[in-house]
Amino acid sequence: MKNLLRELRAGEAWSQGKLAEVLGVSRQTVNAIETEKYDPSLPLAFKIARLFKRPIEEIFEAEA
Amino acid sequence: MTSKLYSVRVNKQNPPNTLESVQPCSGLYSIRKDIKRNIWLAVAAAIYLINLMLAKRHPEWSVAIRATFALAPLIPGLLYIRSCTRFVSGLDELQRRIQLEAWLFAVMGTALIGIAVSTLNASGVHMGELEHGLGMGRAFIVTFVLWLVGSAIANCRYK
Repeated sequence: MKNLLRELRAGEAWSQGKLAEVLGVSRQTVNAIETEKYDPSLPLAFKIARLFKRPIEEIFEAEA
Repeated sequence: MTSKLYSVRVNKQNPPNTLESVQPCSGLYSIRKDIKRNIWLAVAAAIYLINLMLAKRHPEWSVAIRATFALAPLIPGLLYIRSCTRFVSGLDELQRRIQLEAWLFAVMGTALIGIAVSTLNASGVHMGELEHGLGMGRAFIVTFVLWLVGSAIANCRYK
């Protein structure tokens, strides 16, 4: 699944570790989502959407 | 309203568990988490060793008493399973997936190796010490080694 997490994080000037701390996950999880190796669970996707004040579908885009 | 809707609590009080927190020399080792997870294993091992010692010193004890002592480590063993389950529940979602993949790899791999050994024995191939199958002790070792391999593979996949 494509996502804008890296761009959004960069926009806030946060490190992966800082974002991981805010989301309550490991840094490895943030990295895996950013590199599109791992699709987050729905609760985590909602958390990310709330954090960046964007709708989920704007951050995550399902590949056709 | 909008700020309430989009508010996110910073999760500093209850960070997710990590495997590194129970691995000494990992840099992220936490003695509190290690004790919390492994204390019942240590208790089970201590009771088992005491039981071995007592069984040697008191062969005159009745079967009922010996059976009670022999089965006593099962209680801390069950508590150890509970603390492991809680630790895994506290892992972050990617770590849970990695552990699931690693354990599947380990269990299925051990089963396959066990079947292969049994099949070779049944075919008349001389297996030396393995002529009666893999055995429980070796099965534990094989599972542990395969879990290490499975963890490494899964971690590489999500790096």
